Amino acid sequence: MKNPIVKLSTLLILSALVSACGDDGDTGPQGPAGPQGETGVDGTDGQDGADGQDGVNGNSAVYTVQITNLTYAQPFAPAAIVLHESGYHAFAEGEAASMGIEVMAEGGNPAMVIEEAMDSTDFLDAQNSGGILGPKTSSDMFTLVVPELDADDLRLTVTTMLVNTNDAFTGLNAADVSNMSVGDSKTFMTVTWDAGTEANTETAATMPGPAAGAAGGGGEAAGYDPVRDDLADVVRLHTGVTTNANATDPSREGLTTSVLTEGHRFDFPTSRVVITRTR
Amino acid sequence: MKFTKLASATLLSLAAASFSHAVTVDVEITNLTQAQSFTPRLVIAHDDTVDAFEVGQPASTALAWLAEAGVIDDEQNADSSGANFEALLGPVDTDNGSNTWHRFGGLLAPSATLSYPFDTMDKPYLSLLAMLIPTNDAFVGMDSIEIPTEPGTYTYYLNAYDAGTELNDELNSARTDVVEAGTGNALGGYGLPGVAGGGAPTRIVDLGTGGTGVGAQVVNGEVEDGEDGPVHIHRNALGDTDNAGGASDLDSTVHRWLNPVARVVITVPAS
Repeated sequence: MKNPIVKLSTLLILSALVSACGDDGDTGPQGPAGPQGETGVDGTDGQDGADGQDGVNGNSAVYTVQITNLTYAQPFAPAAIVLHESGYHAFAEGEAASMGIEVMAEGGNPAMVIEEAMDSTDFLDAQNSGGILGPKTSSDMFTLVVPELDADDLRLTVTTMLVNTNDAFTGLNAADVSNMSVGDSKTFMTVTWDAGTEANTETAATMPGPAAGAAGGGGEAAGYDPVRDDLADVVRLHTGVTTNANATDPSREGLTTSVLTEGHRFDFPTSRVVITRTR
Repeated sequence: MKFTKLASATLLSLAAASFSHAVTVDVEITNLTQAQSFTPRLVIAHDDTVDAFEVGQPASTALAWLAEAGVIDDEQNADSSGANFEALLGPVDTDNGSNTWHRFGGLLAPSATLSYPFDTMDKPYLSLLAMLIPTNDAFVGMDSIEIPTEPGTYTYYLNAYDAGTELNDELNSARTDVVEAGTGNALGGYGLPGVAGGGAPTRIVDLGTGGTGVGAQVVNGEVEDGEDGPVHIHRNALGDTDNAGGASDLDSTVHRWLNPVARVVITVPAS
């Protein structure tokens, strides 16, 4: 029974030898602090978050309006495009034009037509097309948004001047566009009105368009004039431009003082207006 | 005896039943102008892949043939073969898939009305075109109206368009004192200056001579064959009152019009 004891003691001696090996040198003094390290590089930006989901457009109806100029040589000035409820009229045949209609029809600026519409409780939305629409061409699509609950009683008014005239304008007078479903389109072929606010002299000094410009007039100075000197101060359908054609043939039916030529004549319809409900 | 009656009654009801499935509508066309005749009328029933004309877009060669010369198909004018509406649409009076078309022949005189049966072969849209004579390139157009399906009578008013493929010189094509600039060709119909159809038997007055030109001017006995497109509403003939001079060989008291220039009444028969 000795053997196990010997082995145990050997193990004890070995462990004593191991512990006697360390801890026999002195620990040195602490060294001086090192220099400050360089500034680290900025980290990269985090990733953009994912786009939020589209909101639910539960109470807006969206419409686009496109205008096509059907004339041979009458550019259209910027157009006022207005969506409103029934009851509002920008103008009425047989009645004097508002100042907004006068300014638009004589000089081409539709801003006051839109301002007058905005004063109405029936107003919903409007766009100023902002640019000239050349003859024989189609415009961009203009977008208008109205509350969906008004879609059952909706009217479209458009006014745009024929710039080679004294005070002619075409468009729509409160056209009924109620109850259109998403995807529906309505097409209107428009007549042209005489604003009744300026005599149709067809001279370079009274028309803002390029025909007058080519004759040394035109531009803003030849546009709006507060004097109302037409045959009658009422809006009515236009009879077309007289022009200087046939001014010297035996019929003498032309207007010798006109700077317009037969090319500036127009007939109805003068424009095509297409409204589409997109949402 | 009884058997015979029963048999004929059955035949009648069969005929009635097949009639109710037919898609033949009645197309009545009235010329509303006072002095412009309509050339043979092209009537097309079609789907949305066919567009005979579109405002703001250039005219096809087929439309130029129709608007400058009143030509729709090879039978009318062999020179138009391959470039006319027959080439564009396919054979006449048959189902071409996208369309079926017919030429209602003869001239439709000012103020006249004619009506025709037309099998639409279940196509959804209808277009109708004819040249106004005497003009350079004016045409009356119906632009892809939806063909009504409910029995009834439907009325449409049509406008006059300018194809834009020829300047409106308003010169009498019978004149020999003016030729096409550059080529020396005589005035005439397709591809040439000059008003076509001045001598039509349905004319109200004879055309004048000696005009110096309206939309294009005569210079040294020549006039150019220019273009004034795309397709737009026609600004109307000008004319003048001098039968031997002035600008135009048309008469301003006779040849003018205002839109609409045609009325079309479509009758869908009761089933």
